[in-house]
Amino acid sequence: MGLFSKLFKGPEIDQAKSDANAKKMRALFDQVVENGANYRLIFGYTEDVARFNYGFVHGSKTKIGNLIVGWNEASQTIVVVPTVPDLSGCGDPTYYRRAEILKAYRNKYPTDAFIIYPDKRSYIGINAYDWLEDESLYVYVSQEAELAAFTEFFLNCFTKK
Amino acid sequence: MPLEKILACLLVLVVIVAVGNLWFHLVESLLEKVKGLFTRGKSPVSWHTLPPEESGGEDRSERD
Repeated sequence: MGLFSKLFKGPEIDQAKSDANAKKMRALFDQVVENGANYRLIFGYTEDVARFNYGFVHGSKTKIGNLIVGWNEASQTIVVVPTVPDLSGCGDPTYYRRAEILKAYRNKYPTDAFIIYPDKRSYIGINAYDWLEDESLYVYVSQEAELAAFTEFFLNCFTKK
Repeated sequence: MPLEKILACLLVLVVIVAVGNLWFHLVESLLEKVKGLFTRGKSPVSWHTLPPEESGGEDRSERD
């Protein structure tokens, strides 16, 4: 009985590890973003899919880019900071202010992503889930509440057509 | 189908997968080397490491 109940329960989140990573995300974000404490944070990622053909071997490869996504409802700003799964460091932030962007919407198919077009020529697709287990590709963090808050902010305050 | 034939088919498939993977990684590494030749003069991407108090007191250096 005990074995089956464990199987049906599914994987359990290591809350201590998740909290430690959330702390690291906050430290990295505040280090590179001015007034970083005014932003709420979630972990997101980008997926770049490219096709390849090397003679008798061909297919597609997906490049995953990890992001710390910060948002401020008052200033309607989303800040994106590139990072790595172990949160050992981060790159420079990119700011997306609603007044300055061209378009923003939530894409449902083929992937559930938050799409932002800062101008006609470029875009960013931010994917986010409440928890991802693969630590080699994604930051290990549980963020159900924060993701719900970000989704509400994006759909109600940031969307622009 | 006799067991030996099944195992032989499986072995052929495993060899094909292995060779395919080796070929893929070989071509990828060659392409990376060629790409590196064209980006040699470029300045490295800015990178900020985690503050020492958050990384458990480990010694880290910042690369810019």
